[in-house]
Amino acid sequence: MEKKKEKFFDKMKSNEYYVRWLKNPFTYVTAAVLLSLFQIVTLAVTKNPWGVSGPFAIWGAWVFEAVGGSVDKWYYFASPGAQATLEGGLLNHPDSWRNFGIIAGALAATLLASGFKLKKIKSYKQVLAAVIGGTMMGYGARIAFGCNIGAFYSGIASLSLSGWVFAIGIFAGAVVGSKLLVKFFM
Amino acid sequence: MKEVMLDCFGEACPIPLVKAQNKIAELAIGDVLIVQIDHSCAMKNVPEWARKEGYNVEVEEVDDGEWEVLIEKTK
Amino acid sequence: MAEQTNAASSRRASANRKPKKNQIPFGFLTVALIGVIAVLLNLKSSNVAFFWLTGSAFGFILQKGRFCFTASLRDPLLTGSTSVTRAVVVAFAITTIGFTAIKYGYSAAGLPIPGMSYVVPISLATLIGAFVFGIGMVIAGGCASGTLMRVGEGFVMNLLAFVFFIVGSLWGAHDFGWWKQVFISKGPSIFLPDVFGWMGAVLLQLVVLLAIYIFAEQYEKKRGTSH
Repeated sequence: MEKKKEKFFDKMKSNEYYVRWLKNPFTYVTAAVLLSLFQIVTLAVTKNPWGVSGPFAIWGAWVFEAVGGSVDKWYYFASPGAQATLEGGLLNHPDSWRNFGIIAGALAATLLASGFKLKKIKSYKQVLAAVIGGTMMGYGARIAFGCNIGAFYSGIASLSLSGWVFAIGIFAGAVVGSKLLVKFFM
Repeated sequence: MKEVMLDCFGEACPIPLVKAQNKIAELAIGDVLIVQIDHSCAMKNVPEWARKEGYNVEVEEVDDGEWEVLIEKTK
Repeated sequence: MAEQTNAASSRRASANRKPKKNQIPFGFLTVALIGVIAVLLNLKSSNVAFFWLTGSAFGFILQKGRFCFTASLRDPLLTGSTSVTRAVVVAFAITTIGFTAIKYGYSAAGLPIPGMSYVVPISLATLIGAFVFGIGMVIAGGCASGTLMRVGEGFVMNLLAFVFFIVGSLWGAHDFGWWKQVFISKGPSIFLPDVFGWMGAVLLQLVVLLAIYIFAEQYEKKRGTSH
């Protein structure tokens, strides 16, 4: 039975549809079209565009509360909506599950193309880059009302001028970040 | 006509591409640069850059999630 | 010269090749698990299940396309390539059209327009936040969506960035009150159709996107060599 299953999946590797749709990467434009499709579906069904960075603050709050802290006096979490989200817990928070879905979808895509490999950290520079970069992204996204998806992609597509202002800022940041990357983290 | 290996395993975006661009400048015409990568972005942007430069490019999948990009400096 | 390359590669191929494990069955297993979790979540809330499924779609597409917003903004300068930049412009254009059609439909029917919570106040906080985010994403090797995608691909470095994204978010949420008081509360929210009308706003934005596309393409051609 095992041998039969193995041969089936080995044969699949040379199947034209497998190669075309699951093995080969999409072109950037194909991805752009598909992402747009699901963005539009998201707005139509959930009444809001796609956003990614919001849940990170909620997760942070939950962890903080779990170790004895309280965020209830913070302006950010004081609104009834925010309080309801915090009280509701993970299973009631759709945005969290969308982010988990991104991780799962990417994992599925990688495995289906038989391209998964655990890439461990190579140097202390990478640790520093991840810590500093991750923290900056989290902080920046909160005060700018979103990240590359919520504030940039969704903002612009929603015909909000804030999206374009964000675009100027994120581009300038990318320029500076590139110089820092080459200088300190390569 | 020498072969030069460039180990970029474990490197983050866009380091493999930047290293490849820097290294190919050091090679003579006819040399082959072999870039070893395990980053899915690099598996796309390194060949794309090399082809745009007019070099001969071959991409080989040597293991799950590991590729070798062979770039022959033709000009 | 071509024969030499092929000979070289086949020489190396036979030397290096370890028996590759076929991960495809695990891929299908993951897809099945995504489905099972969707069903389970649906028992509690179909909304949560929907978000889980669209997230999976986004993650799948991002990974297959190696679609990275960080690359779209970083590569023009670092490597001279604008292929991702132009793809991002295409995504923005198509999504703009779809979003506007939906929004206009609601507006014309006299109903509240969806997605207006994403039309946010413009202030120094927007610029500074975006700037800080931009630096962070290039250093960390991935933006918000890119970080999640790479966690799914097995990059431990991006997993670390993910953890500190949470830390930074909590810190940002903590300081948000200050930013709100000093900058954000004084900033206007500008919905372009309010200024240019629906048709005007959409056309203007598409023209701007088109201009950026053409500029990006010409920039890549003129830049030629990689440095």
